[in-house]
Amino acid sequence: MDNCILQVDDLGVCFHTEEGRIQAVDGVSFALHEGETLGIVGESGSGKSVTSLALMGLVPSPPGEICAGRALYRGENLLAMPPKRFSKIRGNRVAMIFQDPMTSLNPYMTIADQLIEVTVVHLGHTRREALKHAIEMLERVGIPSPSKRIFAYPHEFSGGMRQRVMIAMALSCQPDILIADEPTTALDVTIEAQILELMKQLQQSQGTAIIMITHDMGVVANICHRVHVMYAGKIVEQASCDALFANPRHPYTLGLLKSVPRLTQATSARLATIDGQPPDLAHLPPGCAFEPRCGYATRECRQQSPQLQDAEDADRFACFVDITKESPHKDPHA
Amino acid sequence: MIPFLAKRLLWFFVTLWVVFTISFFLMRAVPGGPFDGERNLEPDVKQAIERRYRVDKPLWNQYLVHLGMAAGLLSEDGQFRIGVPDLGPSYRIRDFSVNQIIAQGLPVSASLGILALSFGLVVGLFAGVIAALRRQTWVDTGVMLIATAGMAVPNFWLAGVCIILFVFLIPLFPAAGWGNLSNLILPAFCLGAPYAAYIARLTRTGMLEVLHQDYIRTARAKGLRGRQVIIRHALKGSALPVVSFLGPAAAGILTGSLVIEKVFHLSGIGSYFVEAALQRDYPLAMGVVLVYTVVLYTMNVLVDLSYAILDPRIELE
Repeated sequence: MDNCILQVDDLGVCFHTEEGRIQAVDGVSFALHEGETLGIVGESGSGKSVTSLALMGLVPSPPGEICAGRALYRGENLLAMPPKRFSKIRGNRVAMIFQDPMTSLNPYMTIADQLIEVTVVHLGHTRREALKHAIEMLERVGIPSPSKRIFAYPHEFSGGMRQRVMIAMALSCQPDILIADEPTTALDVTIEAQILELMKQLQQSQGTAIIMITHDMGVVANICHRVHVMYAGKIVEQASCDALFANPRHPYTLGLLKSVPRLTQATSARLATIDGQPPDLAHLPPGCAFEPRCGYATRECRQQSPQLQDAEDADRFACFVDITKESPHKDPHA
Repeated sequence: MIPFLAKRLLWFFVTLWVVFTISFFLMRAVPGGPFDGERNLEPDVKQAIERRYRVDKPLWNQYLVHLGMAAGLLSEDGQFRIGVPDLGPSYRIRDFSVNQIIAQGLPVSASLGILALSFGLVVGLFAGVIAALRRQTWVDTGVMLIATAGMAVPNFWLAGVCIILFVFLIPLFPAAGWGNLSNLILPAFCLGAPYAAYIARLTRTGMLEVLHQDYIRTARAKGLRGRQVIIRHALKGSALPVVSFLGPAAAGILTGSLVIEKVFHLSGIGSYFVEAALQRDYPLAMGVVLVYTVVLYTMNVLVDLSYAILDPRIELE
């Protein structure tokens, strides 16, 4: 597609630990288009956060290292960019909000100072211009009486308010891409709904493309247009949001969807879970990484790792079994 | 802020009174007196001296008169007056009042202490930050090695080595004396070195902890460059442990200056402290103790204040 603004090819991130080299992200490829919201879903340790940090050049190094791939933003490879050039894009054209708004703001600085420095650095604002702009941003993200509250410290704000500040900070320079790493995980559900609504609104008014990293299928259903499911550092399924919910093609996606509580379910019923633990990345099984937890696994799964294959539309999935036709031969909940 | 300072001021006087009282009776509880010597004095000579210094009066009377004088409310002969605190005459240094001795010695000790503490702070903070930023490289290892050595080495030994090196081998500084800045550099270095070492370690630990905080990642995600992140975002948080160490550091530098002043023949109040205590020169020892109390109390108030200024989450009572 021609309106693609971020093209990630074969991204690999590894960590050098005492247990050896760990491949946290392995061969991840995707495209992000203008104005869309792309969800990246997976359990803890599936590599979704590391993927986002890699795109921002924030993988802690050492021990981390980007060992393969490229990420083309407007024709420039973010992963091989000189630090000086990268810092001009970071926070300016590509911005990020983080999971925990409680710890992501500097407790020793006022909200004003933390907002001001973004536009001073990137847009060359004077302090006064930057302050005016910062107050406008706070107003847009729904902070009441922003011209007063802006001089407060983060600890004087609630969690939801701080996440609004983070969003205001990230959107200060009208970025093309906003990477949101579990932005609502630390918030309660009513605040979560407000924040997601805010992100949708801002996306519509600014045309920002959003990469939404989450483990919450509810968030995905609410905000995402397309979804990538990650497991053990690899993308195992790519689909549009509707197709993914209606017709999951990977057993792991199916497991994730089944483990979402439903209003129609009896409250006494046990919530479905995916058996077992996410794999230890230092000791991956030789075949499919999900095979030990998979109800559909065959002998083939134990021997080799499935590659992404095309399905209907532009969707892809990485599984040898067609789970729309087969039924699980072992019931994980028996 | 104002109520906090008012409260601290009130406690300041209470603290001084308690220190005064305890020191007063503790000193006099130690055997021996100011006018005991190898030779026994003629009884009437001794009596005359004791009358001159009013040590023939009952202890409670001496206590009240000295307390009144120190508070600036009584004159030496027990008359009411309002004036500057008077610590009385020195028992052993003839013709000098304790006030005069302190007025002479304090500038020396204060210059030495301030110089040593500034040296410790500047060098310690700088070395600590560098070590943290270059962690697990030879720079870090080198700085920490020197810091550990600096903490372990006693300052009188360091002073000796410095004199050999920088006075005799490479004649850069005078060996002793007082008068200009070059006299103070070696003693301030020797006095401040262990504190520089400790502050370097504190800063490094604090900095490493802060660098792992989420808000540093946020600062980098904003597109700030390395140095901006350190100076604007990391330094404040990592300076907090150092600030809280400044109180004890001031105490250490005060007591450490006794030795250094001796080695470099500086006539600060530190050198009087030991002599006054040994010679039972009660008023002089008391004077030095009170000066130290004032300095330490002030330092602690300053530490509390700067803590509240650095970290907005901390509120002064």
